[in-house]
Amino acid sequence: MSTANGFKRVLPLRTAISTSAGLASAAINFLACVEIAEYAGGASAWLALLVAGILIVLAGANFSELNGMYPSSAAIRVWIRRGINDNVSMVTGFVYATTVIFVIAADAFVLGHVFQAAVPNVSGLVWIVLLLGLVTGINLRGIRLAGLVQDGNGFLLLATLVIFSCLVLLHPHVPLTARRLFHLGPNWLEAVAVGIFIYVGFEWVTPLAEEFEDSRVIPRGMFIALGLIAIGFGLFTLALAVVFPNAQALKHSLVPQLIVGLHALGPLGFWWMVVVSLTTAMTTFNGGLATASRFVYALARERVLPPKMARLNVKLVPQNALLLLSFLSLGLAILVYLTGQYLFLINAGAAVESFMYAITAIVVVNLRKREPHCHRPFHSWGVPWLSWVMAVIFFGLGVGSLLAPSGERGFPGPLVFLVLLVAASQMYVWKVVPRLKAQKRRVAKAVVPKP
Amino acid sequence: MDLLAALETFAEQCNQNQRLRQMNRDWNRLVELWATDTDQRYWLKSEAGWITAGPGDAVDAELKISARNDVLHDIFSGIITPTEPYNAGDLLVKGRQDDMMRLDIITLLIWGE
Repeated sequence: MSTANGFKRVLPLRTAISTSAGLASAAINFLACVEIAEYAGGASAWLALLVAGILIVLAGANFSELNGMYPSSAAIRVWIRRGINDNVSMVTGFVYATTVIFVIAADAFVLGHVFQAAVPNVSGLVWIVLLLGLVTGINLRGIRLAGLVQDGNGFLLLATLVIFSCLVLLHPHVPLTARRLFHLGPNWLEAVAVGIFIYVGFEWVTPLAEEFEDSRVIPRGMFIALGLIAIGFGLFTLALAVVFPNAQALKHSLVPQLIVGLHALGPLGFWWMVVVSLTTAMTTFNGGLATASRFVYALARERVLPPKMARLNVKLVPQNALLLLSFLSLGLAILVYLTGQYLFLINAGAAVESFMYAITAIVVVNLRKREPHCHRPFHSWGVPWLSWVMAVIFFGLGVGSLLAPSGERGFPGPLVFLVLLVAASQMYVWKVVPRLKAQKRRVAKAVVPKP
Repeated sequence: MDLLAALETFAEQCNQNQRLRQMNRDWNRLVELWATDTDQRYWLKSEAGWITAGPGDAVDAELKISARNDVLHDIFSGIITPTEPYNAGDLLVKGRQDDMMRLDIITLLIWGE
């Protein structure tokens, strides 16, 4: 949008980097690193993360082009609507919002285990209910964690990972098996697919585009953040391979960050990692609930969801949307905690994100045809050929994540769940949304006659 | 009714609503509206709970909104919610999300769901 005058409130590049890195850095990433190392067969996990990172940079270029064209907090809702159609936009919006619930539930699961390891007398379930309830209460009162705390946590986590991992890796007694940096395990491609999950959320900085005067700040911030995430979690995964030279032993660790902390700095490292896990999970809860509840609110205002979801409390917070998301996250977190099936969340989350990256590649190609004259501050690379290749690769990685072994019996739970979720969303869009919209048109006609 | 008249009516409705005046008493903002097809600019000002509107540029606006003239007219007449054109990419905004949310809530409180 061209502006006649100066713009009073703008955010700097630092915020774009810290927000992108902070939103991607969830506590569940520690367990995803375990899974990557296990699939990759040990130390070559860093290579899987690097390959996933390169693919993500290409996906980031697509997000940058779309974000430059339509810098909107409605982001994918707008882009897919214009690039494909309203129906696909709504279905993907629902599925994408579900990923936020996955990530919150997964972080609650990690936090429960971290606190149970730190304070064994209190069940992890109690911590999950307490901390998720606390964040919900804070959000209901309209209090949002200060941007500085929210953003600073990303830098704190990544700096901690680099320092602690280096301390472990530079130890003189690193076993030889941990140095097999290029030995590819039998499930190495699955390791790349799950590697996508480490970067999930980097693009959630795009809804902030309206708060930056120069649209090019967002791509710069995203790409720098991706580099920082690759370094931080790549080193952490390497350190894990040192602490657990036998990849099979990784399976049983639900608090790998605490073990790495213990190896790096003893009890101080252990408690430092407890604090970092707590702040990371709390910022994930806070950011996830605040963003997703407003997304639900916007859909309700549009009459894509029931109007009850747009109800505000006295603090102007969409309380029904917030409570619904909190209860769903809590229910899922408790279910996963009791069953221990956390890989379900990681694999399903990685799959949804991979499909989203495939769709955005297609949207970039379509919009180049449909809206060739629209201003593009950033041009994605290799459109359309590389875009189609990326779409196929990400679709394949998504399917790979869904089919990756995540249970004792090898039942593809994430695949079944995702198919059911997409089918239910599609049915809702076909059957319920037209009724809600018709109801709204009737009310509008009765109350406000068009002049 | 043209866009300026719609904005003035909108401001009047806000000012007549005691709940809105109470809600906006600490929300002091200058909003610039740009009708992209006619290249006309307007402003809305919220100060101590009172809303005013007028034609022309807004210097150092906190929120900048751009859309076609008819879209802006329909939003500020309550014919459509701001969310509809916003989610379709027909309404672009520059500013803090809290301020955008506030503006949407104002329309919600005036015209309902």
